[in-house]
Amino acid sequence: MPFATPLALLGLLFIPAVIAMYLLKLRRDEAVVPSTLLWTRLVSDVEANAPWQKLRRSLLLLLQLLLVIVLALLAARPFVERPAGLAQDIVLVVDTSASMGASDVVPDRLTAAKAAAIEALKGLPTGGKVSVIAADRSARIVVNESSDLGRIRDAIEGIAVTASRGDLGDALELASKLAARSGDAQVLVATDAALASTVTARVGAPVKVLPVGRDRKNQAIVALAVRPGPSGVTRSVFISIANLDLERASRRIELWGDDRLLEVRDVTLEPQARADVIIDDVPEGTHAVEVRLVARDPAATGAPDQLAVDDRAWAVIPPSRTRLILVVGDGDPYLETALSYLPNVELYGVKASEYGPATERTDGRPWDLIIFEGTLPATLPRAPTLAIAPPRTSALGVVTGTLKNPGIGSLAPDEPVLRYVDLSTTHIAEASRLALPDWARTIIPGPKGAPLLYSGLRDGIPTAVLAFEPRQSDLPLQVAFPILLANLTGELLGGSSAPTEAVEPGTPVDLVIPAGAISLTVTHPDGTVTDLVPSTVGGSTVTFAGTAEPGIYTITPVRDPSASAAPSGSAGAAASPVASPAVSPAASGSPGASAMPGLVGAGDDPFAPVRFAVDLFDVDESTIAPGSAAAIEALGTTTAASPAPGSVGAGTPAERPMSREELWVPIVLLVLVALSVEWALYHRDGLIRLQRALRSRLGRDAAGPSPGGAG
Amino acid sequence: MTQRSGLGQEATSVPVAAASAVVGAGTRQIFLPNEVDPTVFDEAFLRQLERLLLLMRSPVRGGLKGGRRSVKRGQSVEFADYRDYSMGDDLRQLDWNVYARLEKLFVKLFIEEEDVTITLLVDASASMASGHPQKLLFAKRAAAALGYIGLASEDRIAVSALSGRIARRRAAMRGSGRIFRLLADLSAIAVADGPTDLVAAARHAAAQLHGRGVVVLLSDLLDPAADRVIRELAATGSELIILHILSPDELDPAFEGDLRLVDSETGERVDITADLATIDAYRERLTAWKAGFADLAAKRRASYVDLSSDVNLADLMFSQLRRRRVLG
Repeated sequence: MPFATPLALLGLLFIPAVIAMYLLKLRRDEAVVPSTLLWTRLVSDVEANAPWQKLRRSLLLLLQLLLVIVLALLAARPFVERPAGLAQDIVLVVDTSASMGASDVVPDRLTAAKAAAIEALKGLPTGGKVSVIAADRSARIVVNESSDLGRIRDAIEGIAVTASRGDLGDALELASKLAARSGDAQVLVATDAALASTVTARVGAPVKVLPVGRDRKNQAIVALAVRPGPSGVTRSVFISIANLDLERASRRIELWGDDRLLEVRDVTLEPQARADVIIDDVPEGTHAVEVRLVARDPAATGAPDQLAVDDRAWAVIPPSRTRLILVVGDGDPYLETALSYLPNVELYGVKASEYGPATERTDGRPWDLIIFEGTLPATLPRAPTLAIAPPRTSALGVVTGTLKNPGIGSLAPDEPVLRYVDLSTTHIAEASRLALPDWARTIIPGPKGAPLLYSGLRDGIPTAVLAFEPRQSDLPLQVAFPILLANLTGELLGGSSAPTEAVEPGTPVDLVIPAGAISLTVTHPDGTVTDLVPSTVGGSTVTFAGTAEPGIYTITPVRDPSASAAPSGSAGAAASPVASPAVSPAASGSPGASAMPGLVGAGDDPFAPVRFAVDLFDVDESTIAPGSAAAIEALGTTTAASPAPGSVGAGTPAERPMSREELWVPIVLLVLVALSVEWALYHRDGLIRLQRALRSRLGRDAAGPSPGGAG
Repeated sequence: MTQRSGLGQEATSVPVAAASAVVGAGTRQIFLPNEVDPTVFDEAFLRQLERLLLLMRSPVRGGLKGGRRSVKRGQSVEFADYRDYSMGDDLRQLDWNVYARLEKLFVKLFIEEEDVTITLLVDASASMASGHPQKLLFAKRAAAALGYIGLASEDRIAVSALSGRIARRRAAMRGSGRIFRLLADLSAIAVADGPTDLVAAARHAAAQLHGRGVVVLLSDLLDPAADRVIRELAATGSELIILHILSPDELDPAFEGDLRLVDSETGERVDITADLATIDAYRERLTAWKAGFADLAAKRRASYVDLSSDVNLADLMFSQLRRRRVLG
């Protein structure tokens, strides 16, 4: 057996010392007694009948010699060596996406994955290093190149499942970069391989998957939207449920409004199919709805499916508020028709020559939006403005000419104004050539950098400029026109400084700090509160990234103690956080969605709390059927990583390093046992006396108090 | 109590407190003769003897067990039987009531009282010099107490020390006025130099006995042939009382570890490992050894009392010995 510190075996030289001390101890003290008569007879009997006496003395010596030998061995650190099961350096990727919360493996897949990872790391060679990456929405390094297995274990244990879609590809790319630092690295992936998106990343090291999960029994809420009812007074809730199992499922839908149960519906879902449910007559005044997918039989025990995070969904119902829109121009029937379709909108129109101070409202409510069609006033109003085909340069932008048949440039795929807007067949006959102002962003690019539509905050006032009149194109004849108009007016009318669509878990959101507020507090669904302070003094927005938990988040502005009374509703430099009616027809949010500032309408309280919902509406993530581990392993290299300098040349597999396991644990246990036996032998008499005393006391207690006391 | 001589004449009772400096309550002076060892018979011990005196003021019939009654019939105050009148009998002994009934002459017979010699055999072997309290000291004091009781009962008391191979006997004494002589005799007993053959000494003591009396052996019996000692003394026909004295250290030794025990008499050495098992075995053997003496004494119609040398003397006299019917 090899030893790590063989010199420690010199401790065996203590054996003669122990024997010498033992022999010295045999010298006896003399005691004079009246007579040895009884002792002589006793000794002969004891020696004849109790060999234990001699044996006890020898046994103590043997135990002490054994202790010396064992301690010397322990100090010499014996070990056994065997080829390590793993490479020298390990990058461990732990999948923390929502599907890892499935309960087909008790208690859940992630717990099993962590246990498998910890077990796999036992094959780490001596001196090996481990990096740990948590793979959820984006890859996060938990431990970087550590050889402290205790710390690594604690870090792995601390990884928690998320409610978001996972991006294993991002994690594997990061793992590949970490593995590239080492000449002998391996990537371990603890996952259920139920990937929401195809992974195409290549890893420059061998990949080994630690698979978890086995079943696919799951139904999920994949869409939830609230729309005004036909009467315009009540709301209707649109719910879409998917059965991702291979068997029929019967579930019950519960609709809750502001923590009150409003409706219950039973649904039966065919395998791999969706069911849509519409529930009407959500009462007026309901602020938020929650849909719960529960078991049809309330008495049933156990979870109805194996993933609970997609069995609940929330939606915020923005408060109803009529928006006042003024169109200044000669009148464009297409424009006015499209605007009239907008919900909660009162549309007014004046000719350009009639526009002026007289058009100011006298009821205390300013215009929410003023649209100038083909005209511009001498003095631009202090209200959100949409200018269509401005005839001249103004504060809204520089007009440098005219464009004939301008083509539409490449559209940004994540532009919120262009959501669900298809301009691929739109033709424009004529448009103004505009220069993009500093305060705006291009929404629809035109030829040679000239924007056809741009929007932004002009002196804090939401402003947009459309370079062409709709009737100068075929856009009004397309479905895209009312959608574009709805999106654009929604942005100008200040939807909400909070998201109006459901946000994906883990997605950062931009929140607007209204005028007069210095910060925001965000109340999470679980009741915890986060304070958000802008990074710069006086900043008007702040990014909130703590949307990991599905549910309703409530944003409350914090007033500036030194500010005056809240403004009466005029458009200020910063917008109100009050939610405006969202116009977007889709139920699922787009990635990276962030809110844009809105207006404070008369009567609106800029400091009133606003809400937004976080939901996992992701069919791919809710599909929890375990995927192919081989497909993931195929992303790695098939042989060991490129050899380190000085090692075996290219073309020959690097020798697997040896793993050394020291045997100190069994030796320590042996020492403890030997010490215990020696102690028991040496103090045998004391133990027997104690036992007799206890028996005597117990006998007395059982007999009761002795008779006769005072009196 | 009264006492008769062998001639059957009454003798006047001698107050047990007469001619003694240890009488009475209150202030008194203790006068110790030069021969009395004050370390043995100190003031505290003498006060204990006073208690014995006071208690004995109450009528005590019989004194030491079996020591008084004679098998002879004579003339005394205690009626025993009738016999036919013979010419020359004392007419004062005729029972006229019986004559009135039976018209026959009968003479009353009375118990003949004789004086008894109580021999106190004190083992003075070297082993008796050990112990805390010392066994020999305890033996002397017990002998003094018993002797005092005998003197107060007008018995003869003789002290004999067993040492070496002989018994050194002092002259017998009678009368409570002899207490200090008794104490002096006991004080003079010294520990023997060298080994003691208890059997030989007991045999010598037995040969010195005259007539049947009471023999009180005060010894630790730490002799390989101690049972023969008992047999020798029992064979004398005297009533034998064995006070088996051992020290607390011998009854419950507090040894620990590996020791070499050395015999105080013979110098013999024994190696022991004094663990709990050894001590327990010793106690068992000791108990069996004493039980053996008790059985032997019972068979020889002797009284056996095993004592520790730390027993209180008054407790010994008034409790243990009375409980075992050594004292009445």
